[in-house]
Amino acid sequence: MNHSSRFCDGIKRRNFMQLGAAGAFGMGVSLPQLLQSEAFGHNQNRTTSDVSLIVVFLQGGLSTIDTWDMKPNAPVEFRGEFKPISTTVPGTQICEHLPQIAQHQDKFSLVRSFGHGDSNHGSADHAMLTGYKPAAGFNGGLKPNNQKPCLGSIISKEQGPRGSVPPYVCLPKMHNSAGSSFLGATSAPFVVAADPNAPDFKVPDLVSPVTVAASRLDNRRSLLQRINRYQTTVETQSNQNAKSMNTFQQKAFDLMTSAATKHAFDIERESSQLRDQYGRNSLGQSCLMARRLVQAGVRCVLIDHIDWDTHYNNFHVLRNELLPQLDGAMSGLLGDLDNRGMLESTMVLVTGEFGRTPRINKDAGRDHWGPSTTIALAGGGIRGGRVIGASDERAERPATTPYGPADLMATVYHGLGISQDRTFYTPDGRPIPIVPGDGKIIPGLF
Amino acid sequence: MRLIQLLLILFLSSATTLPVVVSADVVRIEASPPDVTLRGKDSSMQLLITGFDATGQSQDLTHQVKYIRSSAEAEVSPTGIIHGKQDGTGTITASYKGMSVEIPVSVMNSQIGRPLSFTNDIIPILSRYRCNTSGCHGKAEGQNGFRLSVFGFDPLADYHAITMEGRGRRIFPASPHKSLLVQKMSGALPHGGGVLIPPNRAEFRKITDWISTGFPWEHPSASTVSSIALTPTQRVLRMGETQQLRVMATLSNGEQLDVTELSQFQSNAVAQAQVNVNGQVTVGQVPGVVAVMATYMGRVDVFRIFIPEDNPIREDPKLPNSNELDKTIYRQLHKLNITASAACTDEQFLRRVFIDLIGTVPTADQTASFLSDRDSQKRDKLVDVLLESPEFNSYWALKWSDLLRVDRQTLGHKNAYQYYSWIKESFRLHTPMDRFARELITTSGPLVDAPAGFFYKSVKSPNRMASTISQVMLGIRIECAECHHHPFDRWGQTDFFGMRAFFTQVQYKKSARGEMLITKGNPVTKHPRTGEVIQAFALGTQMPASTPLNDRRDKLANWLTAPENPWFARNIANRTWAHLMGRGIIEPVDDVRLTNPPSNPELLTSLTKAFIDAEFDFRKLLKLIIQTDAYQRSSAVNETNERDEQNYSRFLFKQLEAEVMLDAICQTTGVPEKFEGIPTGSRAIELWDSSVPHYFLKTFGRPVRATACECERISEPTVGQVLHILNAPGIENKLSHEAGTIRKIANEYDDNEKAIQRLYLTFFNRYGDKQELATAVQYVTESSNRRQSLEDIAWSMLNSLEFLFNH
Repeated sequence: MNHSSRFCDGIKRRNFMQLGAAGAFGMGVSLPQLLQSEAFGHNQNRTTSDVSLIVVFLQGGLSTIDTWDMKPNAPVEFRGEFKPISTTVPGTQICEHLPQIAQHQDKFSLVRSFGHGDSNHGSADHAMLTGYKPAAGFNGGLKPNNQKPCLGSIISKEQGPRGSVPPYVCLPKMHNSAGSSFLGATSAPFVVAADPNAPDFKVPDLVSPVTVAASRLDNRRSLLQRINRYQTTVETQSNQNAKSMNTFQQKAFDLMTSAATKHAFDIERESSQLRDQYGRNSLGQSCLMARRLVQAGVRCVLIDHIDWDTHYNNFHVLRNELLPQLDGAMSGLLGDLDNRGMLESTMVLVTGEFGRTPRINKDAGRDHWGPSTTIALAGGGIRGGRVIGASDERAERPATTPYGPADLMATVYHGLGISQDRTFYTPDGRPIPIVPGDGKIIPGLF
Repeated sequence: MRLIQLLLILFLSSATTLPVVVSADVVRIEASPPDVTLRGKDSSMQLLITGFDATGQSQDLTHQVKYIRSSAEAEVSPTGIIHGKQDGTGTITASYKGMSVEIPVSVMNSQIGRPLSFTNDIIPILSRYRCNTSGCHGKAEGQNGFRLSVFGFDPLADYHAITMEGRGRRIFPASPHKSLLVQKMSGALPHGGGVLIPPNRAEFRKITDWISTGFPWEHPSASTVSSIALTPTQRVLRMGETQQLRVMATLSNGEQLDVTELSQFQSNAVAQAQVNVNGQVTVGQVPGVVAVMATYMGRVDVFRIFIPEDNPIREDPKLPNSNELDKTIYRQLHKLNITASAACTDEQFLRRVFIDLIGTVPTADQTASFLSDRDSQKRDKLVDVLLESPEFNSYWALKWSDLLRVDRQTLGHKNAYQYYSWIKESFRLHTPMDRFARELITTSGPLVDAPAGFFYKSVKSPNRMASTISQVMLGIRIECAECHHHPFDRWGQTDFFGMRAFFTQVQYKKSARGEMLITKGNPVTKHPRTGEVIQAFALGTQMPASTPLNDRRDKLANWLTAPENPWFARNIANRTWAHLMGRGIIEPVDDVRLTNPPSNPELLTSLTKAFIDAEFDFRKLLKLIIQTDAYQRSSAVNETNERDEQNYSRFLFKQLEAEVMLDAICQTTGVPEKFEGIPTGSRAIELWDSSVPHYFLKTFGRPVRATACECERISEPTVGQVLHILNAPGIENKLSHEAGTIRKIANEYDDNEKAIQRLYLTFFNRYGDKQELATAVQYVTESSNRRQSLEDIAWSMLNSLEFLFNH
């Protein structure tokens, strides 16, 4: 395996963008995956295995009765303060505070009969990102808390890296349920623990410290080749971990000198007009970064956006802060993907861990509500403009066939060309299917 | 002709698909069994045909011979399976290159079906075709409304599912072929699992017969399976060779039954040998020892394979210090035609033993003084010094805190620290491991006085106590048996709940000295399915009629720490061996089961005995292993052992653990790390709390202590790790720190060669050779900044495999 040709991409170190990163278990790539992905680069004919996933996770729980599934005819203590507006899809209405998204209604679909019955943070997060309800002994506070692998880890394990960028990235921090569980460090996310909206945004470790001048890195690298005497010996070939470490070192230099990586994380390259469109806030710029990463070959980007836990002043907070951010970010993302012809190859999932209580509480807020919520899906073969299922009159429960996290996993994997029948084994030999139980593709989406 | 054949074999051997190796020198063939008697409808027998060459070397020819039957009473498949067709006697002739062997066959009662029962006849079919695995109907929700218990652990529920649920459509006695079960499995109706049992299979007839005879649950005269036995039990197989297996079941009435076609097979080392669903083993291209197991109705047996290198080895190395343990290793290597690597150098030994015993790399001064020491006993003396150093206690407390789950998030800061201190103190006091285990298991009283009790606080439920103690102290994983029979071992739910019953008395109450652990009452444990009362009883022992009223844990501790306990000493010995040698004799170390046998049983027996003879003294155990040739071998490989990772023919590379590597970086650069909430100057191996936030430790796979599994400590490298050492500003700061090692060396040594030699001693614990020095000196001379060029050399050393691994 000769990787040396990959170094020579003619990139000058000076041009390097300061990239920051703080990966939890960071960018694990197993050797077999790496070897499988030898033919990296920008390929050929698109197949479903080229479909990427962007998860916009609205942590705390998006109030879907106030956004995707409004009930204007429900009693006042349920329906809330907002009014529905028409969208580009006749008959489909969403919240008045999402006017830009309404203009993209034809690009995404809503599943309104969704729920899982778990109204706790942590365990609901785990269910939404793995498909599995956590078993006894679950500690939601652990980072990661995964008893089962996150969908990003499954994608990473199953499909491996595409190009010189990591296959699975978390932004702008590690989501507690984003871990790889028994799939191990090699399937864990590369965590960019930095806010792309920050003026000094960078990913640590991807380039040499500023104190090390460019010319010095080249010298160091050639010196390392000479000092690292085990690099070429037979014993390194005969010891798997040493062999992997060796390969990864080549890979790391590759990444450091990779035009694609450098380019992807360099958000400054976007026009300020487009950046404004996505919104100059963490959610907006994370969505923009997600698009850049997918463009560079990342298979799954998980955006963990916090603050959606609106127990108090739900309407004030949504109207003035959160919904305008979501409106810009999601409409920016859908419009941008569409303009670039990337929507067919990029699935977008917008969801919280649960919905919020349809009955408004004494603090003008809404509390956790696992039995019913609405999820939004677009791209990657998902048809736009549809509404699947319905909730009851007060959005308390699904009124039609209910769908849950297991169905969501089946749907996502189907869109990404991963067989739903795939099973992984824990170290003690227990088979864990990637789609739990009777999870089925949600009908009507594809 | 011979030459062509030989060339063909050579050619095939290098191909990626495994070729079937057949030598041309067979002079005689034999059949097993020599004669066959088949009783009852649909009975069968797997023949095994073995060829022998002039030297007596055997090879399996079961699939190569030609079978001819003399009359119609029996059929024989090309793979050697005989099926009885009609009553009578006759012969089957197996012939191979002019040689032949005759097998007399007699068929009796061929039209009389054996009394069928659901448990004995139908469940094995559901298991064989994997209908009841958790990927299919065995998962909790079932598949499309049809739900079976995993591996058939609940036959009654399965019987109900098949005969009563689904509005009775699943079976149709008046016309068995119209049964939904039969139509699905045979592909007459679309089936998500595919066509599994077509009508021409014996299993098809068995199921339809069972339905047409009124789908009996139990037949009064039906017997149960007492045991199964694999034939052959053990063989030396050459690379690329194949071997057909036969599985015979012994029933409770003494009857023997061939169940090869209904058994499931699995290899414990797929890279070395694979086995297909019919029980045919194919050996790969890696020498060593493999176990292939067969399971049938909860019974298991193993077939052990020896795979030698092709060419006999020229000579055994005569190494001076060989002890008993080494002899068992050399015997095995000799059988496998593997030549061991030569002895390691003093430099290698020094660094190796420092890292393995105290989780610390030697300093430059320690290195120089050890290398110049002329004492012939210096290795032993060094070991003695390390065993008594304070770092030894810290390092081993860290390792056991992982297993025993010192978890600050669960226990709180103060409690977790007390618990950790108890572990560390046990190592400082030379507590023998049997007493350590006993103290942990039987601890009681105020937790401030008995901090081992925090184990129970950390692990919480009696179920987890049972599985954690089994896994850590015995190396046995029983948690599968909490819900269903262990798929690869003898443990069932009764065994699991028998272990659990030891821990159900544990309670806490308030006292003047704070919370105290007590045991109280006589709680009853019931089988979760049958509701039968289960008394406390240890794995592999008989369940007593009653449970003692006093603290049951005493009884468990007595059993566990007795020298005759089959697992405890062996487990500690194996774990310790694995730590030092990079691989357990049983691997993984905490998955001890009949079907995962030791790679070298004699070695493990000797090691265990030595540990017991040393009265469970942990330091003596370590020293004994360190004194072996096997530990003191070079990591360099030769032609015969480059593919061997299993038999201790060379020293395996081990990646430094997260804490050890961070400490090594701090020590070599001379700049310590500051940890949040921990006194300055503390080292990473002294961190009792595995949740102290630290990017480096997390990236390098520090365990979160959520389980008792060794596998939590991730030992696989990742790109993130590599990037971090290459680029982390924190590490760069250490290299260029004004009070750091490199600055000091630059100031102290004006001579470039001397400065570089000092770097070699510091980072690699050896002197650089002439060429290495020349390369580095040239680098420094060509640089405009001497100090920076020395930092560059140190940086290259930190990023070298030689630094990142223990080798």
